[in-house]
Amino acid sequence: MDFRPSPPQQLLISTAREYLRRHCPIEPDRRAGLDVVKLWRGMAELGWPGLLIPGEHGGSDGTLQDVILLVEELGYAAVPGPYVASAVAATSLALAANPAQRERMLPALASGDRITTVALGDAGARRAHAASAPGALNVSGGRLNGRALFVNHADIAADVIVVLADTVVIVPADRRGVTRAPLDTMGGDPVFEVAFDDVDVRDDEPLAVGDGAVAAAVRAGALARTAEMVGGAQRILEMTVEHAKTRVQGGRPIGGHQAIQHACADLVRDVDCARGLLHVAAWREAGGEDARADVAMAKAYAGDACLNVARRAHQIFGAISYCAEHPLHMIHKRILAASMDFGDATAHLEDVARAIGLEA
Amino acid sequence: MDFAFSADEQAFAAEVRQFLREHPPSAFPVDGMDAGYGSGANSKAYILALADRGWIRMCWPRAFGGGERPMFFKLVLLEELARAGAPFGPLPGIWQTADAIIEYGSETLRRDVLPAIARGEASFWQGYSEPDAGSDLLALKTEARRDGDHYVLRGHKIWSSHAGIATHGLVFTRTSREARRSRGFSMFVVPNGTPGMDIRPITSLTGEVYHYEVFIDDVRVPEGWRLGPEGEGFVALLNGLDSDRFWGRFYKAPALERVLGHLVEYANTTRVDGMPLARDAGLRRRIAAMATELSALRWLFYRAACQIRDGVPITYETAVAKVMADETGQKVARLGMDLLGAWGLLREGSREAKLGGEISHSYLTSLGHTIAGGTAEVLRTTVATRGLGLPAAR
Repeated sequence: MDFRPSPPQQLLISTAREYLRRHCPIEPDRRAGLDVVKLWRGMAELGWPGLLIPGEHGGSDGTLQDVILLVEELGYAAVPGPYVASAVAATSLALAANPAQRERMLPALASGDRITTVALGDAGARRAHAASAPGALNVSGGRLNGRALFVNHADIAADVIVVLADTVVIVPADRRGVTRAPLDTMGGDPVFEVAFDDVDVRDDEPLAVGDGAVAAAVRAGALARTAEMVGGAQRILEMTVEHAKTRVQGGRPIGGHQAIQHACADLVRDVDCARGLLHVAAWREAGGEDARADVAMAKAYAGDACLNVARRAHQIFGAISYCAEHPLHMIHKRILAASMDFGDATAHLEDVARAIGLEA
Repeated sequence: MDFAFSADEQAFAAEVRQFLREHPPSAFPVDGMDAGYGSGANSKAYILALADRGWIRMCWPRAFGGGERPMFFKLVLLEELARAGAPFGPLPGIWQTADAIIEYGSETLRRDVLPAIARGEASFWQGYSEPDAGSDLLALKTEARRDGDHYVLRGHKIWSSHAGIATHGLVFTRTSREARRSRGFSMFVVPNGTPGMDIRPITSLTGEVYHYEVFIDDVRVPEGWRLGPEGEGFVALLNGLDSDRFWGRFYKAPALERVLGHLVEYANTTRVDGMPLARDAGLRRRIAAMATELSALRWLFYRAACQIRDGVPITYETAVAKVMADETGQKVARLGMDLLGAWGLLREGSREAKLGGEISHSYLTSLGHTIAGGTAEVLRTTVATRGLGLPAAR
């Protein structure tokens, strides 16, 4: 048993920390002009979108564990962009497709040239699987109809992978009949309603993946979103402790008061516990074991714990954290969004309930 | 990152499970109450059975009769025993005392006490707290005065767990007044029954005896029974407390998983208005969330375990784990009460009691856990100051 990342993983982490410190500032005013696509290209040059993809397809031969450690850093820096949608969820589905489809999709996913997002269907935000909303999306006679909510980065995506109850199809985002309407979220992240109106689905566009592959991609997405929450909570913890050490009131740092100290101690517990469950779940999933319960626990726990961290941090920071120019609310909103994606805590706790033998 | 047990550890776990089949916990007489920490009741017979397998000394150096097995074997043993509900109460304290004797004990202690420990015949109570020295341990007043090749101990200890049924006390005393508040303390191993020692039971809120208070009235202890150098007992104590947080709570997660398993079974088999409790959405979610928390707790302890194994300095990791263990335990008991309703009040042995009355017992015992071995407040301060570097509170 060993909790430490391997030396190559440590290098990945430190490279990401340094690169993102320079190219993705956390302060909202410095971030105003951030070009998401330019940042994505920079990440692609470092080989990050291809981490899950074998070298023969242009990828960088990483593992899901590597991805999780990297996404923790993306969360730490509150990086905007399509990494989880394209490099994790869509890539997981592409990896499960047939050889011709892999040959076609993987190199462009690895190079970051074709950003691909995933539409889990109407219920995608709430449930881990689109199958619970039959009829919301359907393919019939080679035509795709219906609409999907909460599709991330549909604006810059070249392709959309649509997960339906009984099939998975990939269609170019600019095909006739596809419309993308932005939803106005509290975090300002690019989330869309994507409608499909009699969209032509060509012969090679249904992806030859089984049910297991969809579930595995959803688990990978859930783990990545969990990593994003853990990284964000780690950043909040560090910011908050720094504030508690330096903010002087009544002649001494507020961190010298037990009320603040004990709140900070609870932040540490929440972050450490969330990270522990995440790393164990990623290890089990990457090792090909049945990790369903571990993934569900990791995401449910982080969703609760990391939000507690964010909320408590607001209290410790006081009024300044209520300002738009302070970074805390931005990280907080990202954690909140991540907690809903690929199954919220309620959905994952139901999976846990079944796994521990509670009768359904 | 690798969270699997090694092949050796897995083989040992199988060996322990085989032992548990051959030595069903319920077959062993109990001498002292289960205080709910996860190590079960105090059973001398069970400790003898563990000693018989060589498991008490399995990690000691060969020079002391040990098997030099890696530290993780202890974790494997504790986890398997806790999952089975075995009554191994004093074992962690026995191990800690043996380790201290091996590390800095006198020849006398190594010759006279260590073999008894290996045979499973010795167990220890901690004489740390005093009526006016609880969270402020250094305010203690018990003194050890040098008299030739002996010390004469005088004072009053309290909250000493199972002191009346253990064989020796670990008595923390002041041996001199020094400018620095943390200097001048010494630890002694004192056999029960030494003239001048009066051990009196304190009935706990469960109605049973767990703690004792010990009146120490000119108790003469040979120099050789001092544990560690004179005046440096505080360092040893701190190491002991750090390790106490770990070894005193490591098995709580598996023990609570066992309790939660009982609650799952209860929820599946108990019907209210024709529907199993398991289908009550609120309870279902709380039970699932509790299972999740227990898993988080278990890994928190394994992280600390790896640090201890690898010699990585511990700053806050055992403190945060202990707080979480104790507060999670209280939540499990509270959840159990909600599931059982009025039946949760019924004690072991009562007519109509559910789950052997274990929820009523664990509800009560868990109240003491956030107090014993460092209160949750003291430990949160430790996390904040030692772990995060926040300034000491005035």
